[in-house]
Amino acid sequence: MFRILKKSLKTGVVTGRHPAAAPTVEAPTSEAQDKAKPFRSSLAFRAVDTGSCNACEMEMNALANPVYDIERFGIHIAASPRHADALVVTGPVTVNMERALKDVYKQTPDPKIVIALGDCAINCGMFKGSYAVTGPVDRHVPVDVRIPGCPPRPAEILKALSELRERKP
Amino acid sequence: MADAQTAMIQLKEAYGASIAEMTPINGTPRLRVKKDDVPQVAHFLHTHPSLRGALSLLWAVDHRPRESRYELCYLFTLAERKDWLLLCTDQPTDDRLFPSITPHIHAAKWYEREIRDMFGLIPKGHPDLRRLVRHEHWPKGTHPLKKDFPWNRVMGRQQGEHHFRQIEGEGVFEVPVGPIHAGIIEPGHFRFSVAGEPIMQLELHHFWTHRGVEKLFEQQELTAAVPLAERVSGDTTVGHGLAYCQAVESLLHLQVPRRGRYLRSLFLELERLHNHLGDVGAICNDTAYALPHAHCGRMKEQLMQLNDRLSGSRFLRGVNRVGGVAVDLTAVQLAEIVAELDRIEKDFSELESIIASNASLTDRLETTGILTERTAWDHAVVGVVGRASGLDQDLRRDRPFAAYDELQVKVVTYRYGDVRARMRVRMDEIHESMRLVREVRAKIPQGPVAVEPSSRPQAGEWALSAVEGWRGEILYLVMAGENGNIHRCKVRDPSFVNWPAIQWAVLGNIIPDFPLINKSFNLSYAGNDL
Repeated sequence: MFRILKKSLKTGVVTGRHPAAAPTVEAPTSEAQDKAKPFRSSLAFRAVDTGSCNACEMEMNALANPVYDIERFGIHIAASPRHADALVVTGPVTVNMERALKDVYKQTPDPKIVIALGDCAINCGMFKGSYAVTGPVDRHVPVDVRIPGCPPRPAEILKALSELRERKP
Repeated sequence: MADAQTAMIQLKEAYGASIAEMTPINGTPRLRVKKDDVPQVAHFLHTHPSLRGALSLLWAVDHRPRESRYELCYLFTLAERKDWLLLCTDQPTDDRLFPSITPHIHAAKWYEREIRDMFGLIPKGHPDLRRLVRHEHWPKGTHPLKKDFPWNRVMGRQQGEHHFRQIEGEGVFEVPVGPIHAGIIEPGHFRFSVAGEPIMQLELHHFWTHRGVEKLFEQQELTAAVPLAERVSGDTTVGHGLAYCQAVESLLHLQVPRRGRYLRSLFLELERLHNHLGDVGAICNDTAYALPHAHCGRMKEQLMQLNDRLSGSRFLRGVNRVGGVAVDLTAVQLAEIVAELDRIEKDFSELESIIASNASLTDRLETTGILTERTAWDHAVVGVVGRASGLDQDLRRDRPFAAYDELQVKVVTYRYGDVRARMRVRMDEIHESMRLVREVRAKIPQGPVAVEPSSRPQAGEWALSAVEGWRGEILYLVMAGENGNIHRCKVRDPSFVNWPAIQWAVLGNIIPDFPLINKSFNLSYAGNDL
């Protein structure tokens, strides 16, 4: 008990101890910002991997660690698409995952936003053209926000999400 | 005990008539066997008490257009000295059947199904001929690794449904899970058959993230495909990149400078560290013990940020290149790494004692998800999972690569094969990796870090390479084609062999323990599906 307490006190607060994100390459469009309006104070997202190499997943998991602590911005990771406001899709859409992606999109209640995370989701990256890849995410479902990078750093994901939900002056 | 040479002599005595040719290839003895005799010879290699060869890799090559034949190769690792022995057999292009060795050797099961899907060759006598990589909606006759299949073909769709093995009886029901899971993980489908809570059967239905990696390799030049190798499985960026580079280097007869080899070991250990730290935390988190998860997540993040400072990538992408490494470290940076690791090790040791003193955690982990040594050996399980089940194997010691011939690696093994053993292997390996990094810093020589590739290999030459990534052995086979292109690249992530084993480890456990068992294996879907 005291050991745990000591450890926690010794460690202190680590939240926010990360290098600042590079300026976002692609600013969110005003349509996307309008769509994200209902989710300004709370956003539940569901991650869907449609064929990524799992680096994007690792960075999304990192968002939940104490350093980035995404929940402090009111962003939660939903366990089911039915509870989600946003879908975060990673990876090129493979032949095998195409149907699953469309199903998930249908199951997510409206209003919803779709975020394509990582280069593969945006333009298939290195896997472009392969027989097993059907195309980028926006070929199958409408994409509102694009966060490029291979993979994007957690700080960049955070920045893109906060710009999306920013209140306009 | 048996090394590869005595094994060859024994085989010659027993099966002299069926062995056509014996030649070493890059130091690996190779036997050319008549097609129909492969199962017997493989059975002998696998079961003979002085050989006990485990099937490490099984691959097929389509030699067209240069030669009109397929070739099947079986790579065995002999038990005692971990020597490699290769069986090869030719397959004429007009004959689709080849004899299956799965009835004798469990480990061949997925490989042969994979060959069937990718090449259209049918393993005769295989107990399970359902599709593996190609889901049922792929049109008939699509075998992507055949040379007459265009790499960028647009796939059609047909009707089809995967048939799972069914258990019937009163109170038996099926629980489907996936492909999209509750956590942020990759897609895969699990089908449980349960009576009440205990799992009677688990069947995997994977390959959702199949991106055609092996075919994409064939479109690339030998020296240019490192970025693709790094994206086979993102969490094993260095492991896959290194394994690919080593294969190409032995094709091009390149000698990587010593400093380059030391840096490769260093980067590989850094990758092992951040993944193992994450896994220890995640295993605790799956028992709802959030405190170690938070601490491990924080330490892992420190390491990822360190990676970023060293190489400009949190996953150490781009550190490996053909001929050496692309990133040299200064003495200041090496000192920074060691200082950071010293801090983390102290931090982690404190956490370890907190974890060890938690009785309810130990209760959850002990005897959960036991993979017996016998089952592990039968399936030729590798890496952390194998070492937790008592298989004393680690390529860093058994088949030294990078700078491991000059570094002493202490291999961690546990015998129980449960979740706790797998967690403890990781914890001990964290300390061992930190020690290795310190040893690298003490021993690293000055000099160049890379050499430029100059020659071009002959078409048809090939090389194997093996790297002990953080998950286990990564094997690459690279065969050169015309004009410095790749003719064939077989990638084997440790996940591919460890996934089938999980079906045995969960038997008798309750479904709520499955996520925990799965996490303790922590296998890659992307590396498995390719």
